[in-house]
Amino acid sequence: MNTSRAVYVSTRQNSLENGSSINMSRLIAAQQETALAATRNKMRMINVSVYYGSFQALIDINLDVPEHRITAIIGPSGCGKSTLLRSLNRMNDLNPRARTVGKVLLDDRDIYAPGEDVVDVRRRVGMVFQRPNPFPKSIYDNVAYGPRLYGITSRRELDRIVETSLSRAALWDEVKDKLQQSALALSGGQQQRLCIARALAVEPEVILMDEPASALDPIATLKIEELMHDLAVTYTIVIVTHNMQQAARVSDYTAMMMLREGTRSGEVVEYGPTRQIFTAPRDRRTEDYITGRFG
Amino acid sequence: MTVVVRAQSRQRYLVRRITNTVMLGLTGLATVVAIIPLLWIVLYVLIQGGRFLSFDFFTKLPTPVGVPGGGVVNAIVGSAILVTLACIFSIPIGILAAIYASAHPNTRLGLSLRFATDVLSGIPSIVVGIFAYTVVVLPMHQFSALAGGVALSIIMLPTVTRTTEEMLKLVPNSLREASLSLGAPEWKTSLRVMLPAALEGVVTGIMLGIARVAGEAAPLMLTSFGNSFMNTDITHPIAALPQTIYIYAVAPYKDWHDKAWTTALVLMTLVLGLNITARLIIVWRRRKLGLG
Amino acid sequence: MSVRGQVQKRSLLRRRLGRITGHGDYPFNLIIAAAALLVVAIVIAIGYQLWSNSTLSRVAFGLKFLWTTTWDPVAQQFGALPFIMGTLQTSLLAVVLAVPISLGIAIFLAELAPEWLRMPLGFLVELLAAVPSVVYGLWGLYVFIPALVRPISVFLARYLGSIPLFAGPAYGPSRLAASLVLTIMIIPTISAVSRDVFLAVPRSQREASLALGATQWETIWQVLIPYGLSGILGAVILGLGRALGETMAVTMVIGNNLDLSLSALHPGYTMASVIVNEFTEATYPLYLSALIEIGLALFALTLLLNLFARLLVWNVARRVPQEARV
Repeated sequence: MNTSRAVYVSTRQNSLENGSSINMSRLIAAQQETALAATRNKMRMINVSVYYGSFQALIDINLDVPEHRITAIIGPSGCGKSTLLRSLNRMNDLNPRARTVGKVLLDDRDIYAPGEDVVDVRRRVGMVFQRPNPFPKSIYDNVAYGPRLYGITSRRELDRIVETSLSRAALWDEVKDKLQQSALALSGGQQQRLCIARALAVEPEVILMDEPASALDPIATLKIEELMHDLAVTYTIVIVTHNMQQAARVSDYTAMMMLREGTRSGEVVEYGPTRQIFTAPRDRRTEDYITGRFG
Repeated sequence: MTVVVRAQSRQRYLVRRITNTVMLGLTGLATVVAIIPLLWIVLYVLIQGGRFLSFDFFTKLPTPVGVPGGGVVNAIVGSAILVTLACIFSIPIGILAAIYASAHPNTRLGLSLRFATDVLSGIPSIVVGIFAYTVVVLPMHQFSALAGGVALSIIMLPTVTRTTEEMLKLVPNSLREASLSLGAPEWKTSLRVMLPAALEGVVTGIMLGIARVAGEAAPLMLTSFGNSFMNTDITHPIAALPQTIYIYAVAPYKDWHDKAWTTALVLMTLVLGLNITARLIIVWRRRKLGLG
Repeated sequence: MSVRGQVQKRSLLRRRLGRITGHGDYPFNLIIAAAALLVVAIVIAIGYQLWSNSTLSRVAFGLKFLWTTTWDPVAQQFGALPFIMGTLQTSLLAVVLAVPISLGIAIFLAELAPEWLRMPLGFLVELLAAVPSVVYGLWGLYVFIPALVRPISVFLARYLGSIPLFAGPAYGPSRLAASLVLTIMIIPTISAVSRDVFLAVPRSQREASLALGATQWETIWQVLIPYGLSGILGAVILGLGRALGETMAVTMVIGNNLDLSLSALHPGYTMASVIVNEFTEATYPLYLSALIEIGLALFALTLLLNLFARLLVWNVARRVPQEARV
């Protein structure tokens, strides 16, 4: 377990247990410590452009996703944040007119290389969507869906996986007595955590989250944010958010995306440790966005 | 922690991918399998029916058995009369009922109407034929084109009603409100604004309805009965294209089988022609309105 | 003159009349209500006529009519079982054969076919429904049976003849022929409705499944089909209803024979066929009444199926899962 993150997690834990409000500066300091501790890149985007037919949605994206860190992608709506996120697990392939140029490396292997198994990529790079989308099945069957696909049929095995995944998603205690109930009976926040558990059940290495809390109330949002920190210990997280405060609270690294002047194509204008982006942004556009001059 | 990963045997992967390809391929196969009979029938009717197609076929009456030549003009005229009768009864009633349904959807009558339309569209045409027999043929003591027209109109009614209702639903409410706010009464709004706006769709619905009843033979066997001679009196039996096909087809004479194919060609051209035209109009309309 | 001037010029009587009739609304509303009432009345009238015109037969044979196998116009003994059996056999077999093919088509058109192929193919499949029943019968009798059904029947009779279902001898017209023709005829119905069902499944469900690493087929089989199950069931029932009522095509290829064996290779008789065949030959009231009673049974059967299908569709409409209740 990463020491810096452990320090961070226990710092937060202590704050909460002592009943005092979260000490922001200690938080940010711990964050920076975490961020600066060296780690390799789990994923890298190298000169990636995405086209829908002749329309270029993303221009020359270069982005690093460090392992066991939370990387946030922020920017005004419509600048291509979701497209960027979806290029990390080849979900853009679902659109027949989509074309991805450039390299997306997962553990130094290009996931777009011909011959790469897209099914395996998607298992290793999981995704949680903006609106919770549980299947109309029981809670148990939702989480067990993935493992069953991969051939796990033993009831004991599945029970264990379901419990582990739900626990990691901080949902186990709330649903352990009603696993057979329909997933649709849960509240929005619970459904989203169920979707996270479902994604965890196939043992991904990276988890992509597309505005995971935008459809939820503030309390549910907070729970999800806490969850992200816990998850980053084991996995690598990339989140897209339009909520700057959330990005500042949650992430270690931030990428600022914007539409290129005079076009409808998105590009990354700045990327760096979150603390630096929010306190000393280098690009004028980043500064404008963060200080709310537009967006 | 790596249970799932370990279970990722290369073998299982391969099985999953092969299953995927095979099953998806099967769905494509299913589509082909379904289209083959269509092509088969159309081609056969074209070729077999085309052999004896001639101008005479459209203008002459049927000849007695064994005598070559002749035509089905009585059936063509008969079908035209029957379809016209069907339209006369079903179009006004269908449209008016649909206007009611779209104006008062939640009243008891409105709900009953929707239910009744559903039921009507599911009734086998032969049963409708029995009904027409009991209410027209029996009192008149004879088979007649009128009875056939009544039967066909009942079959056509749900199509007209349903299509009109759906087309009216598609007309934006703003149109209705604009008309009402100008002081037009409801009925003028319905007839002069809403209906014309929905007209194209209603017309295509009627075309599809006509295509359907033009091809119906079963109810006619009990009502209009058929006639080897020309008849334009609706109080008497009358010939019809689908019925003529049947009579020719099940007869023990070979040359009548040939005539069955040619008659089928005439009927199919009419029915498929109407269908294709109607659907093309629907697609064209959708594209025009940008509804894709 | 201004519009207001024109309006005021209208005679007092006209304006009074206008107000009473709601400016024409009142009579119009009466007319459209009458039309609606007429439609409902027609349905009721059909049921009533069938009921009252079958009284003779119902009184004479009672409920036993439905399971008596004797159909003897000469001896004036009527029982509907051979026809009920024939109808159910051919229709159910047709549904069993049509469902996988129709689902395959629906899946192909909704999920797999490239954009440009979707419309033309869907169009062609729907065109199958436009071919008149008699033409199916004509083609069935003189092309389909000799080319496909007879060889299959001969094959089945030879190798599987010990099973009652496939007992020979294999004549030309048979229940199998009728089932196969019916299959073709109901495929457009089932596949069109199923395709709509698949298209209605929210994209997010597909994405959720694919993002977990499922293959496309796994997504279709384990997520889409269960999601749309009630709708698909409704489609199947609609198809079944259509098959039950098919008359001309069936009567031309089934042989119209009172054969009571279980074999699909033998000729048979259905409710719709016997009506169309013998109605105009019914020379005395009891005969006619018996035929009309069969019509009544057919009416009741399709009515029940219709109700069932509606309930299913209602069920789907209510069950649409609410996205995150925040």
